[in-house]
Amino acid sequence: MAESVVFEQVSKEFGQHKALKNVSLSIHKGEFFSLLGPSGCGKTTLLRLLAGFDTPDSGKILLDGQDITHLPPNRRPVNTVFQSYALFPHLTIYENIAFGLRIANRPEEQIQEEVERMLQLIQMTEYTKRTPDQISGGQKQRVAIARALINKPQVLLLDEPLAALDLKLRQKMLLDLDRIHDEVGITFIFVTHDQTEAMAVSDRIAILHKGEVEQIGPPVEIYEAPKSTFVADFIGDTTFLNGHVAEPIQKDYSKVQMERFPGVMCFNDKALQIGDPVHLSIRPEKIHISGDPPPTHPLINVFQGEVEDVIYKGDHTHFGVKVHGQKISVTQQHSRYLLDEKPIRWNDKVWIWWHADDGFILERNSKGDE
Amino acid sequence: MRKSTFCKWVTALVLIFLYLPIVLLVVSSFNAARFGSDWNGFSLKWYEKLLQDTQMWEALSNSLVIGVSATLASTLLGTLAAFSLHRYKTGLQKVHYSLIYTPLVMPDILMGISLLLFFVAINIPLSLFTVFIAHTTFCVSYVTMVMLSKLQNFDFSVVEAAQDLGANSWTVTKRILLPLLAPGIVAGALLAFTLSIDDFVITYFVAGQGASTLPIYIYSMIKFGSTPVVNALSTLILGVTFIIVIITQALTKEET
Amino acid sequence: MTLPSFGWLLLFFLIPSLIIFAYALKPEDSFGGVGEGWTFDTILSIFDTNYFMLIWRTLWLSCLTTLFCLVLALPVGYQLAISKPKWRRLLLILLVIPFWTSFLIRIFAWKTLLHPEGLFKKLLVAFHLASPEATLLYNSAAVLLVMVYTYLPFAVFPIYAAASKFNFQLIEAALDLGASRIEAFFKVFVPGIKKGILTAMVMVFIPAIGAYVIPDLVGGSNSEMIGNKIAQRTFNDRNLPQASALSAFLGLVVLIPMALVALWTKRSKVIEAEARNKE
Repeated sequence: MAESVVFEQVSKEFGQHKALKNVSLSIHKGEFFSLLGPSGCGKTTLLRLLAGFDTPDSGKILLDGQDITHLPPNRRPVNTVFQSYALFPHLTIYENIAFGLRIANRPEEQIQEEVERMLQLIQMTEYTKRTPDQISGGQKQRVAIARALINKPQVLLLDEPLAALDLKLRQKMLLDLDRIHDEVGITFIFVTHDQTEAMAVSDRIAILHKGEVEQIGPPVEIYEAPKSTFVADFIGDTTFLNGHVAEPIQKDYSKVQMERFPGVMCFNDKALQIGDPVHLSIRPEKIHISGDPPPTHPLINVFQGEVEDVIYKGDHTHFGVKVHGQKISVTQQHSRYLLDEKPIRWNDKVWIWWHADDGFILERNSKGDE
Repeated sequence: MRKSTFCKWVTALVLIFLYLPIVLLVVSSFNAARFGSDWNGFSLKWYEKLLQDTQMWEALSNSLVIGVSATLASTLLGTLAAFSLHRYKTGLQKVHYSLIYTPLVMPDILMGISLLLFFVAINIPLSLFTVFIAHTTFCVSYVTMVMLSKLQNFDFSVVEAAQDLGANSWTVTKRILLPLLAPGIVAGALLAFTLSIDDFVITYFVAGQGASTLPIYIYSMIKFGSTPVVNALSTLILGVTFIIVIITQALTKEET
Repeated sequence: MTLPSFGWLLLFFLIPSLIIFAYALKPEDSFGGVGEGWTFDTILSIFDTNYFMLIWRTLWLSCLTTLFCLVLALPVGYQLAISKPKWRRLLLILLVIPFWTSFLIRIFAWKTLLHPEGLFKKLLVAFHLASPEATLLYNSAAVLLVMVYTYLPFAVFPIYAAASKFNFQLIEAALDLGASRIEAFFKVFVPGIKKGILTAMVMVFIPAIGAYVIPDLVGGSNSEMIGNKIAQRTFNDRNLPQASALSAFLGLVVLIPMALVALWTKRSKVIEAEARNKE
């Protein structure tokens, strides 16, 4: 697969703050790639380095094989959609979109043709004569996208473009972005701190934390097979239990001894020795809960506990179950009419169980772990 | 990406341009020679000459008297004007606003000559009193504009809160409005005072023979008098201005 | 509450202004002052060829002053707006100090500097840029120089005020779309601070056409401006009607463009409101 963008050992410091530490990653041509992470992780810095608004302290940035590390932004075939849209207030929508082409001195007929094509893409053909202060937030975002795409860049950068929109609009715009990506076909690099957005539309996601890449992969992999505690915690919900490896049982499985817990069977794809400290991570939706005990099986972990929290969310309920002194999160989907199931209430004694495949262990080390 | 070496250099050059004459002036005031191009040694003799000039002291005291009185009058009128402009939005207020706004955009000389003709027409002799009237007139507009902008940023819900707690209009004014608006009033007054002290053109037209203010004194010295003495006076005024600006900056820094 | 200020200004501003227009219509009195009766002669005398040069020169010098002030104020305003807060404070203080200094003193400083036996002249002669007999003072160039010097802060502050509200990410957007730095400056920054530029132009042009002290102190007889003539007619010739006529003319030159600008902004606000209602 052709590489569209390659970051090689890129570092950037702002005064004392190390924003990026030797970051290396490559993005495939035509991908919808997301940079995901909490505030301050370096994702926006990385984007700005690619756009050309900053230069890295060390490292190289390659675009389609060419070194663009020190190229000024106006000479890069890369365009940006800013978080605040940055539409030119003194120009009409038409002129905003046409801006890049005018700078490039394209003939008038070509400009007209291209602008109309863009307006159709973003479905705003009647808005040509308006100015930015006369349109809504979602419309501004679409104009910003059109203004960027009209220049046929090799890569489109989107810096938290949906952050300023309300929930319903955000969901709609996300689908729009997906559709536009499919129609246009170029590489999209999307920066966000919202994991649901990233997982919904991305082909691959890179999780960044404190200036370093924690994991890169398709959304499924990130969610189901996080490689570090940070990723497991940042993405989705999870319960962590601390313990250490007790004994390997079969190939791929180990028994992990938790503090105050009896042994737990988990899937072990990591090269760990007996005695290594680990986190056991189980996602709440993978745990079953019931008033009745489950059938036994060597690979199924079963525990008994008491319900402490019940948070009803309509399509599912979130439970907090105290088991051996630890609170474990469990969510239960309501696929039947609630009262036909036996609803579980506070202080009920319940059985919870999960398959060893569904819980995974992560190395527990002192660096940056909670 | 926004940095511009060109703009930085232009700014530096502009600053040099602004300060060059001033620095030269200050240096010359200590020069024993008459003309700045030859340095004859450090001397304070021009300062001595300056301080011995009774006309200068008279002009200074006149300026201060007019400054203080015009400031008081214009601050009072201007604050009231700002309140009424802010509160009422009638047609009368629109005219009122034009009356306040227009003097700000007229060149000084027009105001000077119109007042001169006015006093001549109604036969008032030119004196410090006419200067006082002139200064108050142009200061009112400035004070009003300053107060108006402060009022527009003022959160009037505190007045409603006070009323809710039982205060009557007088109490509200005394204990809420005045203390909170005091910085604005002081700013307006300071502006009026500075404008009054520094005004030349309007004063020149309406002062007549006997009334001399500091700017008028400076003007006649420049045109007919001893240059180095003016250097000395200028340096003193510069020094005072510098100190005042530093103090005001220090005070406003504490505010923010 | 309105009455005090309203009354005061009515009496001491409006009426005197009307008197100017009234006196412009009166003949002159041979003893100085205003004569009896009414006449159009005074006004007509303004359209005399002598005055024509004067008026032309005044307008021309004022326009040049405004232009130079703008050209200098734009980079300075930009620099101020993008400076870090510590530097910005310092720069602002440095710019404000000459502004608060007595305006007469600053003009005097230039008079000294440009003096035939002054330092500047000596330097220029030393570098062979001027002959020993040349005078730097008492001509239009000196007037222009000192006017730019005096009115520059009036241009810098409104431009800075507008620049500080400018969204600089727009410049990044322009660069991102392929514009060079210069293109971004003129196509995005300058239109973005349009209001500030307009204010700066007004704040310089109006005092400039009414300038009196500057041409009086550093100008010669061939660089007179309307202000000088008004003062001359008033104090030297005691020809009050002519002084009034000139003043009235000056007043109209200032008021009419302002009125037009006010009407134009009102109309564009109405159009904007209508466009918004249509949404």
